[in-house]
Amino acid sequence: MVLNFAENAVILRVEDIYVAFGGVQAIEGVDFEVRQGELSAIIGPNGAGKTTLLNCINGFYKPQQGRIYFQGRDISNLSPDKRACLGIGRAFQGIQVYQNMTVLDTIMSGRHVLMKTNPVQAAIYWPWAHKEEVAHRKVAEDIIDFLEIEGIRKKIIGELSYGLRKRVDLARVLALEPKVLILDEPMAGMNLEEKEDIARFILDIQEFQGIPIVLVEHDMEVVMDIAQRVIVIDQGKVIAEGTPTEIRGNHAVIRAYLGEG
Amino acid sequence: MNTNKLVEKGKGETNVPFLPPGTDTLPKFLKWGYEQWGEKVFMRRKDRGVYQRWTWKEVHDEVKYFCLGLISLGLRRGETVALIGENEPQLFFGHWATHAALAKAVCLYPDVTPPEAHYVLDHCDAVFVVCEDQEQVDKVLEIKDQLPRLKKIIYWDPRGMWKYSHPMLMTFEEVQEEGHTHEKSHPGAFEESVAQGNGNDIAVISYTSGTTGQPKGVVITHSSLLDSAYRLMASLSLHPFTQYVSYLPPSWIAEQYYGLTMGLIVPFVINFPEEPETVLENIREVGAELLVFSPRQWESLASITQARMLDAGLLAKFAYKRAMNISKKVAASRLEGKTANPLWRLLYPLAYAVVLRPLLDKLGLLKVRVAICGGSAMAPDAFHFFHAMGLRLKSMFGLSEVGLLTTHVGDYFDVETVGKFMPVHPALGHQVEWRIDEDTGELLLRGGTGFQGYYKDSEASAKTQHEGWFHTGDVVTVREDGEIVYLERLSDMRSLSTGARFPPQFIETRLRFSPFVKDVICLGDETKPFVAALMNIDAETVGRWAEKRGIDYSTFPDLSQKAEVRELIRQEIDMVNRNLAADGVVKRFANLPKELDPDEAELTRSRKLRRSFLEERYGELVEAIYRGKAEHLTEVPVKYRDGRVGKVAVITKIMDLEAPVEVAR
Repeated sequence: MVLNFAENAVILRVEDIYVAFGGVQAIEGVDFEVRQGELSAIIGPNGAGKTTLLNCINGFYKPQQGRIYFQGRDISNLSPDKRACLGIGRAFQGIQVYQNMTVLDTIMSGRHVLMKTNPVQAAIYWPWAHKEEVAHRKVAEDIIDFLEIEGIRKKIIGELSYGLRKRVDLARVLALEPKVLILDEPMAGMNLEEKEDIARFILDIQEFQGIPIVLVEHDMEVVMDIAQRVIVIDQGKVIAEGTPTEIRGNHAVIRAYLGEG
Repeated sequence: MNTNKLVEKGKGETNVPFLPPGTDTLPKFLKWGYEQWGEKVFMRRKDRGVYQRWTWKEVHDEVKYFCLGLISLGLRRGETVALIGENEPQLFFGHWATHAALAKAVCLYPDVTPPEAHYVLDHCDAVFVVCEDQEQVDKVLEIKDQLPRLKKIIYWDPRGMWKYSHPMLMTFEEVQEEGHTHEKSHPGAFEESVAQGNGNDIAVISYTSGTTGQPKGVVITHSSLLDSAYRLMASLSLHPFTQYVSYLPPSWIAEQYYGLTMGLIVPFVINFPEEPETVLENIREVGAELLVFSPRQWESLASITQARMLDAGLLAKFAYKRAMNISKKVAASRLEGKTANPLWRLLYPLAYAVVLRPLLDKLGLLKVRVAICGGSAMAPDAFHFFHAMGLRLKSMFGLSEVGLLTTHVGDYFDVETVGKFMPVHPALGHQVEWRIDEDTGELLLRGGTGFQGYYKDSEASAKTQHEGWFHTGDVVTVREDGEIVYLERLSDMRSLSTGARFPPQFIETRLRFSPFVKDVICLGDETKPFVAALMNIDAETVGRWAEKRGIDYSTFPDLSQKAEVRELIRQEIDMVNRNLAADGVVKRFANLPKELDPDEAELTRSRKLRRSFLEERYGELVEAIYRGKAEHLTEVPVKYRDGRVGKVAVITKIMDLEAPVEVAR
């Protein structure tokens, strides 16, 4: 019973939120839940409010109305960095990694919120700081291995291709040891092979590490392939929610998004 | 018995490497080495950024328990175990364990497609398949229903396999645990099995890459593995614990001789690259002393270096050019056995200290004592490039069927040749005798351990043997000093309708040395009046070249047909034409609008051209070239990974070598 509860536990709940930019009502009473170990996808046409919704979850926007709960705690008034410390990890639609850092340093920067020693201790090579660095480096190496980026460990990010930069961004988020992972169009602008790779990694993260994932993605084929639950948003409202098969057959969705009928 | 000393002196003039009595199989050498060097490091592999080590004892135990596990799961003498994966310690463990269980091993290229894998796994009667990871397991699961003999699929990298629960699947460790249990009920089973091995047992079936038709399985016994290894050891001076980087795929016979056989005998410290992409970095980190690459790999290393120099600053470029110039002159004189002009000899140490040594260091080649190129012909230009840097790259020539045959010995050798025949160890067979067929120029051989036949194909085996001579199918000539010059495959020498003969591979190899050219298909036969070429440009270097000149392009097809790019390629061909006889030069060419791809069966897995297939696929373009047309609308089917088939249609421009392109400035 307890186990069952844990498996289906709601880790993140968005309750009836409203966001308006001036006269534009971007989000209008959205409700949804993210459960432990689940891969949910948010889809919707351009301008439907998907990214706004994500921005509310990790704290860039503050909804005018409604609450957001993370692991049962009301986080509606927390700043984005506090939310990151709590374990909400997000990879962005555009590339938001440091252009002039190496891949390894970028991933280590993701560990920053988890480091306990201060810069002075690190500078004088405090034994404890050293030990901590090694421990963090080990985690970083595990992620490098996981995402198969050994070959670019020491490369400067600015030199990398778009697809690889997105992968490094994903690595940086994973380094946070997130309790929920929010991915905003991780496959935008990628070719078929890069998409297949990223899809594989997303599934691995979800299956092996058991991290619940919220995925916003335009590529319907990919979403229908890998998501367990799909939430469809149109004009700031949830118009449907269900398994990929249910969504495929949903007339409201077909009208709004797939553009048929 | 001084086992650390590889060479027994005093037997005439040649050095005969030491062969421990009674050791006639690889597992016996493993046991022998384990007894000598138990705690010494045998293998290293970078994992999670740190080098992990295996001592001889650890390797021995890994092999032992995997072998016992296989026996316990029902592997019997003479059966087959197939292995698919990148070079990693487990691949070697699995290999030697198979031999220790008196079974034969078959390696497949990691990028094999399921239908290709099916052909080989079915043909070799595999009962176990040892896979690296999910990617390979998926391929085998896809075809398992068509493989009735298959008992288990074993994998060593559990990543992505968490939700798989097929009864045929087992992890590498589970098999080894099975081995531990088996040992309790059958103590001494491993040692007994190893002792029963015999030099004439089939060790490996090596599937030839099959440039023509389905691949053929060459039977290779333990004796033939040892024969080739000992031939090499007699010709190269390798010290025990030579740092070796295992990078060639073991599905290619060369790695069987080097990593898997000589690794046990010399022995090597076998280093495995972290990932195929990091190999150059890893070579540098471990300070590799012996490097064996295929011509393509050497050529690509040369192009990478040259392409990076294009990006270098003015001062670096200047220094590089001067130093290479000096060093090329010195190297050329050394290769010809002469002394260079004193000025160059004086400047050489400076060039070496300032430019060449740092460059070698950067490439990770500073500690390399023996560098070998084997497989097929390679452009002399590439040789000159490495020799100029001070790396004594040697050529090697051999055939899967009869093992390694010739190499350059000592310091003096000619880059145009593949060296001299290597001596056979007296305990392993007669010296190799050879002659050249007077009519065709084909090389005929006998001696050594000889050819053991193609697996399950006695007809093809018989075709290669006449009156005790093995017909190699290679055209060679011999110079007065006994050095062998490799020309072309017998079936590949071609003549034109004018009667002029030309070597297509020779042309292709030399063209490929250009950093801007990735592949070349050389055209021309008895029905054609001249030689023409289809060029596959190197997207990366040509792309960078175009960027530097502010030439904008969208996709590969677009880039390949740009006037500037066509002119660039025309100039490259022109350079090569200068080395050819006037009646055999390339007269026309076109840049292919799509890259050649092994996934579309245009190349074999070892990146050799599938000629007849390509000539058919681009048949209309070829016709347009010979009709004298200036352009042709090429439609090429493209197969995507998910099975969809699309088409690329591009207007392909056809160029005349004599007519430079007018490039608008």
